[in-house]
Amino acid sequence: MLGTAAAGGGVPHGAILVDFAEAVLGDNDERASRARIALSERLGDAALVDAAAVVAFFNAIDRVADASGIPLDPERIDLTADLRAQLGIDAFAQDRV
Amino acid sequence: MNEPPYETTLTEIRADLAAAHRRARDHIAQPGTWWDGAHRVSLMAETRNAVDCALCRERKAALSPAAVAGRHDSLGELPEIAVEIVHRIRTDPGRLTRSWYDGVIRSDLTPEQYVEIVSVVAHTVALDTFARGIGIAPLPMSQPAAGMPSRRLPPGARPGPAWVPWIEPQDLTEAEAGIYPHSRPPANIHKAMSLVPAEVKSFFDLCEHHYLGPLEMRDFGREYRAITHAQIELLAARVSALNRCFY
Repeated sequence: MLGTAAAGGGVPHGAILVDFAEAVLGDNDERASRARIALSERLGDAALVDAAAVVAFFNAIDRVADASGIPLDPERIDLTADLRAQLGIDAFAQDRV
Repeated sequence: MNEPPYETTLTEIRADLAAAHRRARDHIAQPGTWWDGAHRVSLMAETRNAVDCALCRERKAALSPAAVAGRHDSLGELPEIAVEIVHRIRTDPGRLTRSWYDGVIRSDLTPEQYVEIVSVVAHTVALDTFARGIGIAPLPMSQPAAGMPSRRLPPGARPGPAWVPWIEPQDLTEAEAGIYPHSRPPANIHKAMSLVPAEVKSFFDLCEHHYLGPLEMRDFGREYRAITHAQIELLAARVSALNRCFY
């Protein structure tokens, strides 16, 4: 699932979903409202609820991971090494010592 | 009509999700393992209050949060160190550091008290972000239930590679049964809050209804939600990137 975030990574309706996630995590209420309407109109209310649920859960679980200082699971270190380097995710860990 | 607590919400909410939110909100208001119900509800209120804190906004904008001193805009119901933990986790989680954690633990707070704060903040963030996602006000908080914290420390908890001690699967006792998935070894994220097992159970109950259960998430032959596995993972990845979450 590569590509720019704004383009939605090649996933159907990805751009709408990415915009929705960004708007919900941001503090611009008008943008959030527009993103909500766009998602609901294109994918339906049930998709809006499920997308909101996923965004909400990952906004929470990221905090559990960050606040507990857990490392990456050993079996994933080698598997994801190239991808982490390519996406710049390793930089997220460098500030955490 | 939706199930409580969403009876007045116009958008149709899955009944299982509404029930999970009811359980999560009630769980917060119950006496916990290390904090009583009143403190836990105060932790929820402080989590909501943190988004309007001037110090947190200034720190978020700074090159390093440690470079900005000051006092949080708090509701005044919790010890100052608990306020610092709640505000930092709520407003700037991607820049928490081991040295910050060590500092808060040196400030007369136990790791198990800390983990329970993490859990209440995480539950609150899940509920409130969902509300923002569907465009409704955050759920009203429950009245705190009376009673004392159980103060039960799991005998198998040990220091590991995380900042906080955790329980390896082989060290689980009967009292912690069911906190890890049955179908596979627990990932580190499952072990993260195992120092307070009741919080693991409650938080991963939310997981099954917000995201997918452990078997469903790997069953790519069937879709369980109104969005596909790929769409779910795209959302998850974008949120985690925005939060600068390494894990």
